[in-house]
Amino acid sequence: MSRTLTIEPVTRIEGHARITLQLGDTGEVEDAKFHLTQFRGFEKFCEGRPYREMPALTARTCGICPVSHVIASNKACDHLLSVSIPPTGEKLRRIINLAQLTQSHALSFFHLSSPDLLLGWDADPATRNIFGVMRQDPALAKDGIRLRQIGQTIIETLGGKKIHPTWVVPGGVSEALTQEKRDAMLAMLPEGLDIAKRTYAFFKTLVPKFKDEASHFGNQPTMFLSLVTPKGNLEHYDGLLRIKDAQGRILEDMVPPHEYERLIGEAVEDFSYMKFPYYKPLGYPKGIYRVGPLARLNNVDACGTPYADVALAEFHMLQESGPIASSFHYHYARLVEIIYALEMMERLLKDPTILDARVRARARSNRYEGIGVSEAPRGILMHHYRIDDDGLVTWVNLIIATGHNNLAMNQSIRQVADAYVDGNNLQEGMLNRVEAVIRCFDPCLSCASHAFGEMPLAIELKDASGRVVDTLRRG
Amino acid sequence: MTGSRTAGTKVLIIGYGSPIRGDDAIGPLVADRLEREGVPYGVAVISRHILTAELVADLVEHDRVIFLDAAVDGPPGEVRCRQLAPDASAMSTMAHFLDPRELLAWCETLYGQVPETFLVSACGTSFDYANYSLTPDAEAAMEPMIERVRQLIAQPAPI
Repeated sequence: MSRTLTIEPVTRIEGHARITLQLGDTGEVEDAKFHLTQFRGFEKFCEGRPYREMPALTARTCGICPVSHVIASNKACDHLLSVSIPPTGEKLRRIINLAQLTQSHALSFFHLSSPDLLLGWDADPATRNIFGVMRQDPALAKDGIRLRQIGQTIIETLGGKKIHPTWVVPGGVSEALTQEKRDAMLAMLPEGLDIAKRTYAFFKTLVPKFKDEASHFGNQPTMFLSLVTPKGNLEHYDGLLRIKDAQGRILEDMVPPHEYERLIGEAVEDFSYMKFPYYKPLGYPKGIYRVGPLARLNNVDACGTPYADVALAEFHMLQESGPIASSFHYHYARLVEIIYALEMMERLLKDPTILDARVRARARSNRYEGIGVSEAPRGILMHHYRIDDDGLVTWVNLIIATGHNNLAMNQSIRQVADAYVDGNNLQEGMLNRVEAVIRCFDPCLSCASHAFGEMPLAIELKDASGRVVDTLRRG
Repeated sequence: MTGSRTAGTKVLIIGYGSPIRGDDAIGPLVADRLEREGVPYGVAVISRHILTAELVADLVEHDRVIFLDAAVDGPPGEVRCRQLAPDASAMSTMAHFLDPRELLAWCETLYGQVPETFLVSACGTSFDYANYSLTPDAEAAMEPMIERVRQLIAQPAPI
């Protein structure tokens, strides 16, 4: 008798989702799907609004990564204005973007994934949580809090508030940096870098224990999409598109982000409100690719900062050759990127022009279409607007980082389910592994699916007619 | 945000709630008003949309913490004050917003110390999206909330 196993919601991620596993007559997994079942519709209700409202409106997509939307949205508005923003304005935007990456990656690693990594996937779910981590390794937990505090404090110092800052504006930023604020931010960074380096060193000792998970957690041949600098280095704010294939061959390089539609198509499926982007030349679903920290590190030739480049070299050694295929190593890549972000913020804050007063270009709209692309913590983020003669938005398309990974996440849960789930002997640890592979991607579903809902966890076993034959509840 | 300690009790006031959901904004609005009107030396005031993990580092630096929030379960405009204790079971399955009792449990587990903590709340009636104003009942509750907070600030330090 075939059955459907439902995991809802998926825990310790940002937002709400459901996983269903279709089990065959003998308990083997026949299909696996990752569902986003609720809809928010930002693309529609932004229509008719003045384009200058878009950064504030779209930032409300998310309470955890609003800075990323603020950056991409303002870049789309820069494009509408047809302005080049002053260099200091750009550097300041880069700093707040990197602070966002630091706090977001810290949340993912220390708070969402460390219970699995430290306590094990099969640990008692009553203790496999942040309190379990605090008891097991209080120093690590304190480091996580402090690193997040540093990222959030820099966002607040620059943006005026932590959650929805309005300091980034079309044409640049609204206010120049003062020496007092610059010095306060610089004073925090050495401690942050110390934390990042010791966490990275600690995690390297854990990686060998997870060979099995690394083999089955989304260990799959896909392409990788990210921004890179004109020299092919790590880039989070601007740059050009690069796509590598699973063997490491560059398929697309130095493509201006405004040409994204030439490369990226978007499919829809009836089981999810999250779109399924794909690489157009290979079609759907063959054009599967991944974005985010793993893709960025796989795509670049170098990070461009000292410690991050050492860590990048070690990252490449996780596999004999080619791009790192296992999605489990998103965790590793995330830690490398925290090191990079802290080093780069220090470099930018020490730049002799960082206190310049000219931080904003002013103009009215000069074209009808604007595209803004940046790297959010979870991957490349695309905002695309069309406006009319009055500057009112007529059309919006948002391709969210988590959405780019949709095909890969679906494929990953199938792989984990095949490896670990026995429908005849259902164990909580099996299901936690299915959730854990999703946590590797650190999806932000509030952004990607525009989901909103409550958080009870129920795992239901249904027979072929949809009758519930067994239920597990958590929380 | 952290006030320097003198001989007095070090107090942290945290108003939290969404500024675009009507009466839910009363916590941050009261916090902002307290800051504008002035608070004694050694008292720090912050406003937050949501409570996040890094606040733990601020909590443990203070002797007394006063959370300001909206409530949904009482007569409109009713102001209440209750003492909070750590509660790990108030844990969120997500991580981008936390219950104040969970934050206290983080303090207890991680730092072995918990500030004396109060929750001052006012009952609201309208929490609609894209609503930037308080209802008259919530508006009227602001002054009693401020008065209650000032009493808590002036209270002798816990032994």
